[in-house]
Amino acid sequence: MSPSRSRRYFMLLLLLCGFGGILFRLVTLQVLQAAELTARADRQHQKSVTFEGARGAVTDRHGKVLAMNMEVPSVFGVPTALESPAATARHLSPVLHVRRDELEKKLRQDKSFVWLARKVEPEQGQRLERLSLDGIGVVMEGRRFYPKGPLLAHVLGFAGMDGQGLEGLERRYESQLHGEKRVTILQRDALGRTVFPKGLSEKAPAPGHALTLTIDEVIQYVAEKELEEAVNHARAKGGTIIVMDPQTGAILGMAVSPRFDPNAVASLTPDRWRNRALTDTYEPGSTMKVMVAAAALEEKVMMPGTMLFGENGRMVVASTTIHDHEKMGWMTFAQMIQKSSNIGAAKTGMALGEQRLYRYLQSFGFGQRTDIDLPGEVSGLLKPPKDWGRRSLASISMGQEIGVTALQMVSAIAAIANNGVMMKPYVVSEIRDEKGMLVKEVMPQVKRRVVSPETARTLTTILEGVVTDGTGAKAAIPGFRVAGKTGTAQKIDPRTGTYSNTQFIGSFIGYVPAESPRLAVIVVIDEPQGEAWGGVVSAPVFRRVGEQVLNYLGVSRDDQIKIALATDRNVRE
Amino acid sequence: MKTMMILGALCLIFVFVWERVDVVRLGYQIERLKAQKILLERERDQLQVRFSGLTAPERIAKVATEKLGLIPPQQGQVFMVRQLPQAPASASPVAEQIRVARNIQKTRAGE
Repeated sequence: MSPSRSRRYFMLLLLLCGFGGILFRLVTLQVLQAAELTARADRQHQKSVTFEGARGAVTDRHGKVLAMNMEVPSVFGVPTALESPAATARHLSPVLHVRRDELEKKLRQDKSFVWLARKVEPEQGQRLERLSLDGIGVVMEGRRFYPKGPLLAHVLGFAGMDGQGLEGLERRYESQLHGEKRVTILQRDALGRTVFPKGLSEKAPAPGHALTLTIDEVIQYVAEKELEEAVNHARAKGGTIIVMDPQTGAILGMAVSPRFDPNAVASLTPDRWRNRALTDTYEPGSTMKVMVAAAALEEKVMMPGTMLFGENGRMVVASTTIHDHEKMGWMTFAQMIQKSSNIGAAKTGMALGEQRLYRYLQSFGFGQRTDIDLPGEVSGLLKPPKDWGRRSLASISMGQEIGVTALQMVSAIAAIANNGVMMKPYVVSEIRDEKGMLVKEVMPQVKRRVVSPETARTLTTILEGVVTDGTGAKAAIPGFRVAGKTGTAQKIDPRTGTYSNTQFIGSFIGYVPAESPRLAVIVVIDEPQGEAWGGVVSAPVFRRVGEQVLNYLGVSRDDQIKIALATDRNVRE
Repeated sequence: MKTMMILGALCLIFVFVWERVDVVRLGYQIERLKAQKILLERERDQLQVRFSGLTAPERIAKVATEKLGLIPPQQGQVFMVRQLPQAPASASPVAEQIRVARNIQKTRAGE
């Protein structure tokens, strides 16, 4: 072999080795390590970010915002990037209103990320940006705001730090309210700036659906204001007012005292934000006589003119004595209701019998949930007749040995107001998507007929007598016909297990205008001090709420004969 | 012919490079506009929250009573007035009725 030929072979071998090496490297990079290297490149050039659509707003029946989301700053620290945690904590403390030692402790942790304060006020975020501290960053997060403060707080509930509904409507409608979660890949340039999402067709995550309530913020305000005044005046433990449209079951207002601010729940106990209107049961006392009377009239066991003997205020039943608040002799059935005679009610119950009374009480919705669209509702307590004692028939007829919620009571009285037809109570009337398109419309729902229209009308006349001539005189609204019933119930003393002589619940249930009811209202005052009669503590609250709400709704008064006909001309003036 | 082909190829390359650069430029522009949109939406939400807080009935009642010395209408001071069918539909029937009622009261006061 000539030297030139062997040099050529040597060169060829060198080239083959070189190309072989390159080919080997190519196969290693492009085939064997392809997945790993692609992932590494993606990590450097792409950023994966989870976006969450804003939580849907909650508005009242006229579109007034009651709850909405707003983006606010959250402050985080990168402890590994800090030179002096103590100095940083000293700068941060007055801005974040967090103790310096607490911040320093967080910043000294061996972590690459710690939250220092989440969802702070926008001004705090701006001040931090001006400070531009190394190792401290700000990101925007959605925070739930309740711009009306404590208004309707027990119904709205509240959302947690991570935006999930924890109480009230926020919890009940969590699946509709929360926004869509979507992970998006962003391209980054050499400086780490975001260029644009991979795939420009990607849409932003959709916000949650918005709720429109049946609640009217003005009616709610009136109810809350009057309840607070009444509770303070009576030095009571608390109270409840529910205002309902008896023809539809729509809740117009639901006030619970004491109130709370859903913007600041961290320091409160669950006891404070519980919606007592549907989670707490109480013995209704004399207001229950309305339902007993309805059953007796429907079954024709009693007529308005049926005579009952009041036993001069004392009657022995099953070795116990039933008292009336005043000695009464002979009275009509209507007078029995108007004067709220316990003995008369017990006799009415006895005339009905256990099974019939139980059947009607069930029909009025006691012992079962109303199925309102709010969480935490209890069913109350209505024992079946087989568990009744010898006195139970009499006791239940005058509102003892039965546990009800304020919502059950207002639903029951609303059924009488609505000609004997019970409607399902509800608070959300519409659900709309982010474009305002209707997703769901809630229509009034009939539950059942409880009594006939004739019975409802007869009872209305009797209940009007309660306000004109009976115990509910202070509920009278000038110019309107009011039908209602007072109730005063002794609470059970938890220490002795017997009825307390100092702790009472004063209540009033009624509707107005009696001839064509627009409002059914319950007022419950828990443990008023001093005079605890429902006719004294609750009936005046009914009057004040009813008067203001009827004015607001523009309901004409009976005595308003001076109806001016507004012509086209004077309307324009 | 050859020159034309080279020029054509150069033009194609130029258009391709220009298109790529423009895509990146538009990408930055889109991001800037998105950031601006987010800021505007944030401002809108802040104003909405503020507006809702300022129009809360509790606050209005407080301002009306404490600052302006107003009191709720007393018994017999509110007149509901029925409108004729041909009257123009108003956005808020209740507000319109009360306005008309006030007009009547003014007229009476002047009598």
